[in-house]
This record gives sequence, structure tokens and C-alpha cells, in this order.
Amino acid sequence: MFKLSYFKLFIPTVMAVMMAACASSPSASPSPSAAPQDKSVTLLFNVQSPSIDPHSDVNYTAVRAGVSETLIKVNKDLKLEAWLAEKWDSKDGQHWTFNIRPGVNFHSGKAVNAAAVKASLERALKLNPSVKNALHIRDIHADGQILTITTDKPFPEFVSELVHPNTAIIDTTTTGDLPSGTGPFKIASFRAGSELNLDRNEQYWNGKVKLKHAKFMFNEDANARQLAFQAKTADIVYRPPIESLELLKADSTVKVDSLPSLRTHQLIYNMNNNDLKKTAVRKAFDNLINRDEIASGIMSGQGTPAQGPFLSDFPFSPKYITKQFDLNAAREGFKQAGYTVQNGKVANPDGKPLHLTLLTYQSRAELPLISQLIQANAKELGITIDIRQVDNIDEYLAAHQDWDLATYSSITVPRGDASYFLNAAYMPEGALNYGRVHVPELTGMISQLNTTVNEEERNKLALKAVTLIDQENLQSFLVHPNNVVAYRDYVHNWVTSQSEYYLLTQDLDVN
Amino acid sequence: MFKSIAKKFLELVLFFLILSFVSFCLLKLVPGDPVRSILRVDDVAVSNQQIMDMRSQLGLDQSLPVQYGKWLIQLLQFDFGQSYLTHRPVFTEFMEKLPYTLLLTGGSLFIMLLIALPLGTMAALYRNRWIDRASRVFALIGSSIPSFWLGLLFIEWFAVKLRILPSMGEGTAFHLVLPSLTLGLAMAAVYVRMIRASLIESSGQDFIKAAQARGISPIRIFFRHMLRHSLVPLITVFSESIGSLLGGTVVIEVLFAYPGLGKWIVDAIAARDYPIIQGYTVFMAAFIVCINILVELSYRWVNPEIALKEKRLS
Repeated sequence: MFKLSYFKLFIPTVMAVMMAACASSPSASPSPSAAPQDKSVTLLFNVQSPSIDPHSDVNYTAVRAGVSETLIKVNKDLKLEAWLAEKWDSKDGQHWTFNIRPGVNFHSGKAVNAAAVKASLERALKLNPSVKNALHIRDIHADGQILTITTDKPFPEFVSELVHPNTAIIDTTTTGDLPSGTGPFKIASFRAGSELNLDRNEQYWNGKVKLKHAKFMFNEDANARQLAFQAKTADIVYRPPIESLELLKADSTVKVDSLPSLRTHQLIYNMNNNDLKKTAVRKAFDNLINRDEIASGIMSGQGTPAQGPFLSDFPFSPKYITKQFDLNAAREGFKQAGYTVQNGKVANPDGKPLHLTLLTYQSRAELPLISQLIQANAKELGITIDIRQVDNIDEYLAAHQDWDLATYSSITVPRGDASYFLNAAYMPEGALNYGRVHVPELTGMISQLNTTVNEEERNKLALKAVTLIDQENLQSFLVHPNNVVAYRDYVHNWVTSQSEYYLLTQDLDVN
Repeated sequence: MFKSIAKKFLELVLFFLILSFVSFCLLKLVPGDPVRSILRVDDVAVSNQQIMDMRSQLGLDQSLPVQYGKWLIQLLQFDFGQSYLTHRPVFTEFMEKLPYTLLLTGGSLFIMLLIALPLGTMAALYRNRWIDRASRVFALIGSSIPSFWLGLLFIEWFAVKLRILPSMGEGTAFHLVLPSLTLGLAMAAVYVRMIRASLIESSGQDFIKAAQARGISPIRIFFRHMLRHSLVPLITVFSESIGSLLGGTVVIEVLFAYPGLGKWIVDAIAARDYPIIQGYTVFMAAFIVCINILVELSYRWVNPEIALKEKRLS
């Protein structure tokens, strides 16, 4: 009916348009493999940030990108260090005096004094209920460079809470959407969920900033991050996919940094379960956990077997006897707890086999695999474990009691102090006490910790509490997943911060 | 025409009320608690009492009708509320994301039309010839390939190997090419077969045969009669595609770090950020209704018979 010649035109037309659309432009072309000419670095982070307001942003981008700073920081040894506060003091843990560092200016040019810090903290308290709960501030008073804060109760961990990036100090008198901080980088532009462009702060209080520009980009897909790094869209990539690490390590122009994070994967026992409420049973069950297999197999070597909630180099971590996967020890443990063992299989004192429900969730891909490993090991002893996957583990654990075991993961020492995890996970009213742990002796220790000011004393008390948690096996701690960062060899002075709070720093450089 | 638009507007208001109430109820019935996200229980030591206090402060412990009534009164004052997490107005956040999503939607539809229209047309005109068979293979492959995989493949080809397009982000027209291509190709795979079927159906109509008998040129018959007649069912499906593109491009947005509405709403749902979810529902409902009105108006242009029928009936 129609002549073919009319429609033959379609193919070249379509191809021409598509080729035109795909044509390169200088602005779109990624940079060559050499170091950026004007000393700039692009960091690709794994979580999208919808906001750059340091007081409300849940991803702490302003602090991570070196835009704003807090009064106190946690250093690479995970100890508290002066930052915008030169020094601090409190005799009773309730009345605090901070000397605000002189000679510091906001990016806006305004000087940082106690009044500016007061205004910034008050804004954070007003805007962010989480900060309000964390700080327990009753009153703030400013006088020159002296800031006095009174908490509504004796609150010795107050200084460590001031490390929280949502307490970062900004100039509250500036208008507009972009915050004016004190960090080594000033914001040039911010596109929510996409990228943050930064320029060097020429008047940085702590000396010269090596990079002229920096870019902080976000991409939540690990494979896309890896490809962007390969395409040289980024110079530093945070958490590339574990399966691509060998490929990255094989590239001589790439450096890979991997070190244990402050996160701990855990197995929570529901204390309302008649079996699991017995210490001996929990201890026997702990023998079914093959931590080495989890770290080396499931985590592809990117994890460190966990003996307790905190990394072993913290002063409040006891000297643990390394926990071993041992089926015979597990059998013996159940036997000593009064359970019958026949043909290697464990049964209740009344002869019924053990049947447990284990909750897990998908957002940390290794947890369902860890659950399966525990299930398989338990089966060796005749213990049946039903695995159930839930969408939101926090909500489920908080609202339901129809489970016996649960895999969980949390950052246990976000700001260098043990009290966050001890309070949240072991106090009867703690929001993370999903296992309904109620050990009066432990509660007493944590309460005492909450009123102890002296750091050494605090560490001793925390150590006692953690030792008790270990003795009672209130939870099983599985593995500390590693933080992995890959960067090009022309990037210098990159430090993988265990706290993950500080990424772009004044020392970061390229050549 | 005016009467028809006024009627549509009334329908729209009624539709909004029903939709907002149903979505509000469903949202509250779904298990989950925004307070745990607001108080960041995974980062700050919080007690259960503080959680309850916060719930009460936000009015989340009030009855459902009271909560809905308050929200509706707020809405009537054009106040869509603030995000629980960012504390920014929902309207502001929506308006920030909307242009990106519209661009991505537009880009995808453009790519889709660029591929599907010529390929579908040729497949219809040269039935059972090589081009028809090729279009069938394209449709089969295109609709089977997961879009995230296709996206990764495009990044590998165009950004890593050829280095001619950016792999992620936004800002220039070039940033739009790969996500649009990923979405557009998947859509084109579906539309190719639809266009083909619709054109074949049109070509058998009496008025086409009559036109041929009158000696009208094939090109004129194709563009003035056949294509126009085929457009009516296609426009209907097309409008549905726009709706799903506006809200359902989350995989592509994550892959290409593209700050559109899809990722925004998924994050809000995960955090139970009720004001955003409810605001988004209202905005999207308004969009979909507007698109439907435009589609209905376009029917009259594409096929004047529809307008004539309405006139006769009235």
C-alpha cells in the first residue's frame, strides 16, 4: 500500500537524532585519569542527603563535607578532642563551662563567640527533637567567649553528645537556605539528593586548606558508585560493592582502605521466651554462632568477628576469651542447663524439641545470610529455627512479641562513649531494648554511669556493665562490618574516619 | 466545553476528598511510627516515655477523624505541613523535586516516541516482513530486561567505556540522556506492539477503504485518517504511562542519583513522614486528574466524532 521509500527515511532520522542526543560535550566529559588540575576532589557517598541544614539533616552532610564543625569532635583514636570549644569543664556533670575558640569566623565573616554558639545550639534544640532529647539542656548563658550550659539533670556524657553533627555551630543571622559554618569548605551550591559543590575557605581558622574545590556527591546504588568511580566521575568512593574489591585492588592506581566500623551486628534474645531467659541456654546457643565464617565467608573478609558490643580497643571493652563455634560445647551447655541430649539432638526437659522464630530484614543484605547460617548450625542440634523477614525491624521488634531471636545492627559507640548503647539497649525503658532485658544489677550500673563525671570512673563502670552483659550473654554479638573506601592514588591524606563523621578535611590533597 | 470543564472540576474536588480521606486512613492503619525516626532511636539514647511524649506532641495519639480534620483544615489554608525529618514545608520540597521528575518524564516519553512511533508504524505497514519481526524481538527483549540492569549497562557503555555521558547526577541535558534512555527504551518496547496493533485495526476500517477508493494519496490517508484514528486508544495508555512515570521511577532515580519525586516519596514512606506522604498523594492526584482532563480534551481534537456525539446527546 505504501512505498517503502517513504519509511526508509525513518531509520536514518531516528539514528541521527539519537546520535545527536548521545554526542559528547566538554562539560559532560569526565575528567582524564590524572589528578584534577585545580586541586579538586569528588567524593561519592552512599547515602542521599535531602537537606544541608546541619541541625536537621539526618545524614550529617554539612559536617562530613567539612562545611560546619561542632564544639567537640571525636578523633581517630575515638577520644574526645577540642574543636570549636578550646576547653571545657564541669565539676558536677550538670553545670558546664566551655571556652569558645577565639579567632574563628563563620563563612559569612561574622566572628564565632559564645552568643553565636548559644544561638546556634538553641536553633538545633528548637528544630530537632532528637538533639533536644540528646542534650537535656536547661539553660545556656553566653559571655564573650565563655559559654555556660546547665543540663536539666547531672549528665556526664553531655560533652560526648556535643560531638553529634546535628549540634554543629552555624551563623543563625544569615539568611537563605545555605548554612554558614566554620569548616574548611564553603558551600558554592547544593542540589538536594544529588550533589554539594564546595570552595576552599580561605580564612579557615585552623590553617591552610589544601584543596581549592571539592564536590560531595550521593548515590545509593553500590554498583552505580563503582561504575562512577571507574568512569572517573569520582576520586573517592565510599562503600564500593564488596564483590568488586578484588577488581579495585588489582588496579595499581586505586587504593582501598578497609577498617572495622563502630557498627555491630547482633543477635537479640527475647527474654520473654522461657528457654532464652536462661543464661545457660543463651550461652549454649552462642556456641552455635560461627563468627569466623560470618566474617570471612558471608562478609567476604570485610568484617571482624565481634566478641562484645564495642571494638576491643575501647577502654570499656573487657579482655574477652575468644568465642568459638563449637557444636559439642553447645550440646554440653544445653545439657548443663537441664536439657536432654539424645543422639546429639537437644530437647526440652519435658522431651519436646526446641523450636524458635528468628526475625531478620533485608536492608542489610548479610543479615538474612547470617540467619541462615545460624539456622543450619542449630539444626545440627535438632533445634528448628523458622526465619521470618520483616520490612521494618525496629517497628516490628517494638510492637510485637511473637519472636524469639532477631538479627539487628546498630552503631554502638557513635560518639566515643558507651552510655548511648548501654542506655538504649539494656535499660528497661530503653528504646532499643527489644529483648526486654531487665537485669537489676545492670540497671544499677548504668544508672551509676549516668551520674558519674570522671572519665576514668565512667570507663570502669562501663567496663563492669559490659563484662556483666558478656557473663550473662544478654545478646550475642556477631561481627563488626568494615568500612570500605576506595580512592585514586593521587588523593593524599585521606583518613577513613571510624565515626564516619569527618570525610572532607583541610588536609585532603591531590597531586 | 465550559460546562464540561466545570463538571470535571466538581468531580475533582469530590475525588480529592475521597482520595485524601482513604489515603489518610490507610496511612494510619499501616504499622509504623514516625516518632522513632524523628527521635533517631538508632543514634540517640531515647526512652519509651520520650517516644510517647513525642507522639502526643504531634497529635498522633488522637483519633483518626480528629487528625484528618486538622489536616484538612490546614490543607484548605494551602498549608501542606512540614516534613517531620527535614522540617521544611512539604510544598517547597515537592516543588524542588517536581521539575526533575517532569524533565525525566519528558525525556523518557520523547525517547519512547522516537523509537516506538516509527518502529510500530513500520511493523504495521510491513506486516510479517523483517521490520515487523525485528520489532517483535525488540518488544520481547525490551520488556524482559530489568530497567536497573539496562541502566547499569548504559553506564558501563556510555560513561565508563566511551566516556561520552555522565554516569549520574543532574544539571545538564547530558545528565538526562541515560536515565531517559533507560526508561524510554523499556516503554518503547510496550508501545511498539500497541501502535502496530492499533494501526492494523485502523487500516481495516471502512473510511480508510473509502478514502483509498476516492484515490487519496497513501501518505495523506496515513497521516490524516489512519494515524489519527489509532491515536485514541494510544493516548489513553499514554496518559497512564505519564502517571506511572511521575511517581514510579525510583529505581532509575537511585541508580542515576537523580533527585526526583520517586526517591523522595519512597524515603518518606520508609520514615513514615506522614505530611510528605499525604501531600504527595494530593499533588499527584491533582496531576493525574489534570492529565486525564487534557487527555479527554485531546480526544475531541483527535477524533471530532466524539465531540459531535456529545453535542447530539445534549
